[in-house]
Amino acid sequence: MKRRGTGVGCMFYGVGNTGLPNPAAAFVQVLPDTSVHVTVGAADIGQGSSTMAASVAAETLGLNYEDIQVSWADTMYAPEGGATSASRQTFITGNAVKNACQTAMGELKRTASEELNVPEEDLVFRKREIYSSKDESIRMTYPALMAAMGKKGRLAVGAGYYNPKTTYLNPADMSGVPYELYSYATCILEVEVDTDTGEVSLLKAVSAHDVGTPIGIKLVEGQIEGGTAMGTGFVISEKIDIDPKTLAIKNPTLSKYIIETSMDVPVVYPIVVSSEGEAGPFGAKGVGEPALIPSIPATVAAINDAIGSNFTSTPIFPADIVKAWKEKQETQG
Amino acid sequence: MKDYAVLAQDHVKVDALEKVLGTAKFAADYKMPNMLYGGVFRSTVPHAYIKKLNMDKARALPGVACVLDHTAIPGKNRFGIIFKDEPCLVDDKVRRYGDAIAVVAAETPELVHEALDLIEVEYEELEAVSTFERAMEEDSPKVHGDTNVNVTKHLEYGNVDEAWEKCDVIVENTYTTHILSHMFIEPDAGIAYLDEQGVMNVIVSTQNAHYDRNEVAAMLGVPQNRVRVKQAVTGGGFGGKLDISVQLHCALLALYTKRPVKMVRSRTESTMVSSKRHPMTMKCKTGATKDGKLVAVDCYMTCDAGAYSSYAPAVIGRAPVHIVGPYECPNVRCHAVFAYTNNPMCGAFRGFGVPQAAVCHEGQMTALAKALHMDPLEIRMINAHRVGSVIPTGQELTESVGFLDTLTQARDKAAEVMPEALERLQETE
Amino acid sequence: MNKITVHCTVNHKPVVVETAPNKRLLDMLREDLNLTSVKEGCSEGECGACTVIFNGETVTSCCVLAGQAEGADIVTLEGISVDGKPDVVQQAFMDTGAVQCGFCTPGMILTAEVLLAKNPDPTEEEVKQAMSGNLCRCTGYAKIVEAVLLAAERKRKEA
Repeated sequence: MKRRGTGVGCMFYGVGNTGLPNPAAAFVQVLPDTSVHVTVGAADIGQGSSTMAASVAAETLGLNYEDIQVSWADTMYAPEGGATSASRQTFITGNAVKNACQTAMGELKRTASEELNVPEEDLVFRKREIYSSKDESIRMTYPALMAAMGKKGRLAVGAGYYNPKTTYLNPADMSGVPYELYSYATCILEVEVDTDTGEVSLLKAVSAHDVGTPIGIKLVEGQIEGGTAMGTGFVISEKIDIDPKTLAIKNPTLSKYIIETSMDVPVVYPIVVSSEGEAGPFGAKGVGEPALIPSIPATVAAINDAIGSNFTSTPIFPADIVKAWKEKQETQG
Repeated sequence: MKDYAVLAQDHVKVDALEKVLGTAKFAADYKMPNMLYGGVFRSTVPHAYIKKLNMDKARALPGVACVLDHTAIPGKNRFGIIFKDEPCLVDDKVRRYGDAIAVVAAETPELVHEALDLIEVEYEELEAVSTFERAMEEDSPKVHGDTNVNVTKHLEYGNVDEAWEKCDVIVENTYTTHILSHMFIEPDAGIAYLDEQGVMNVIVSTQNAHYDRNEVAAMLGVPQNRVRVKQAVTGGGFGGKLDISVQLHCALLALYTKRPVKMVRSRTESTMVSSKRHPMTMKCKTGATKDGKLVAVDCYMTCDAGAYSSYAPAVIGRAPVHIVGPYECPNVRCHAVFAYTNNPMCGAFRGFGVPQAAVCHEGQMTALAKALHMDPLEIRMINAHRVGSVIPTGQELTESVGFLDTLTQARDKAAEVMPEALERLQETE
Repeated sequence: MNKITVHCTVNHKPVVVETAPNKRLLDMLREDLNLTSVKEGCSEGECGACTVIFNGETVTSCCVLAGQAEGADIVTLEGISVDGKPDVVQQAFMDTGAVQCGFCTPGMILTAEVLLAKNPDPTEEEVKQAMSGNLCRCTGYAKIVEAVLLAAERKRKEA
């Protein structure tokens, strides 16, 4: 018999290391032709931290995304980036990039102020133009600004870093400020369970994530979609088996450790939720790990809902489901 | 949301072009003139002293450039992101299946395998500690030092013991989560070489080049500025590439051979020795009023962290802070104990203990909703963090708390794309 | 060790390769021809990272011996782009955000190329089915499927 079930899972996630300093840094230079070098320590493992760095630099400097060249994670040239972990690079390296850009903008603002006769605090840098917030007709282009910089022998260079505002936790009771900010998420997920075979089909998942300000929409969606695949697989297909004698992993291959294929994943509806805050760069928060988490309890709950079971352990494999269903039929029958 | 010029829209990722063209250089794609291949001789027992190690036959094989054990290490033979408890090459005893005992550099990958097969080892086997329970017994063999306790944490907030009498409903459950593998699609790989200035260069698939640099420098006994670690294009990580993989072994072999040395792990070796997700047991008692307001949470959390610490101290620090989930609760206790065993090493894996905690807190919220005949979404909304909420460390949340919006927007989207499923979810008995 | 000589067409050019008889097609392409877009992820034909187009069909090159390539027509990702410019499928992968770590990307794109050559107007289900031999751990496949459908649409418009 096929039975459907729905589950909900929520989570919050402190961004950055727990109650510990974990700074990251960035270098930036705006070149004479308005192209930009940004160098960060953050390792990009495909999640998009370098794309994030380019986006934050462009937004801060008032240039286009295409103007920015990012180099990363080469200790010869890049400053400390810390680990690409704890969903921290958007928040921490993002702030470092913003800070580095703001330092570089010191000379840019001074020069633009002289050229336009506008006080520095009234200047707006946006989409390759610099103008007065009081009178937008008073404006100059970025190339003109860089030409003026060149004539005056000024360079637009900056280094910046950021360390989250946390405290060490009290060893007695863990009181303190473990994280400066938190990401939130809710996932509602539907499964269909075959009570004869124990097979679980993942149908649909809605996963809503508060990321503060999304740096890029597809970047966030990609994390949510990938995280949901990994989270559902956590419950229904993935498990390391250990040999009881040698304590070796018995299934170290992809034929024996089953991750989801394009046929197995649910249809995911990612929802990018924004919230207001000052801590992250332009209010951005991390999503790498939050993307995974809520689908795990949602899948457990959906299976329990489908067959009236009370699983509190993972994984839940077909044999577990068949057994639970039989036991339920027997106690009811 | 503000009107951003660049953010909150879509741009082609900075690394997308080389990846679709196939020109992106992953660690295994590097080739250098005069390059050697490296490999690791690993333990096939979980817990043992090494009585004898014979590398003579391997060394004598033509085409083998060098075979090294721990005596070759010029600097420190202990590394680890938080506790330095893992050896580059075993010096005192084997603590898990797959511990690195010796390294080989040879002209071809085939010769590396031949040489590894020629290394002979004799063990004096010790009882292997394979469960948390056994680890905690007084008479159990100790994996490191004189205790198997890796880390303990205790979170205490409000007054849990006095809170139970204020509860109209209490649910108690034990949650267990299992050990999992990252299964990043690119197995670990790297290449090391000394450059013209005598700087040790390591190009590697990694999530933390600066940490790697510090460990390579410590192992070589050179200043940190005499080591350069460059991240190769990295084929996924999910936390599994936060530990040292081939960095130290490649660098050691490159130091001795004065030639570039490349190591590419097979899928099997990569999965065998990279870190795993911490399996946890969480015994949890949660109480609420009849209106569904959380009153108290008490959780006892245990974990078999495996043979080395890796990121366990970070996981045990994070999980208790998140044990209630995104909900207000005035009385919370979480006591956590992580133990060393001779099982595969657990470490960082996407979520750092929060996925495990979420299985527990969401299981408890669903159980409470059921006990109170409440809509599971409603009970979550009643307790949801808002600006001004205080978490169990005493921290007040002052901004950027969008939890309620995720609940309502997920509900509204579900009403649109899966209305029957949502209706079933919100049905109360 | 004895060497064997393999004559085949790789990326539209005839090649003659002297290689070891125990080598896999994967090794021959990566080591002898330096075509490193062909990735080794599992060595057992499970992950699809080493996918190449072999006489018009996709194969996992870790499961093919180099000797079996005698007379074959082989295309790797290096043979898809023209003058370093992405083709329609490659461009669609970029535009939809289908690329994260990129390790599965070469195999994914080649599988998509073969699918679209045979079926220019696939349904979403057909795309999912066609891509199911290529594992991705980052994306959850949604944007990859979207990329293939977008490429199909763009190709049809071009034609």
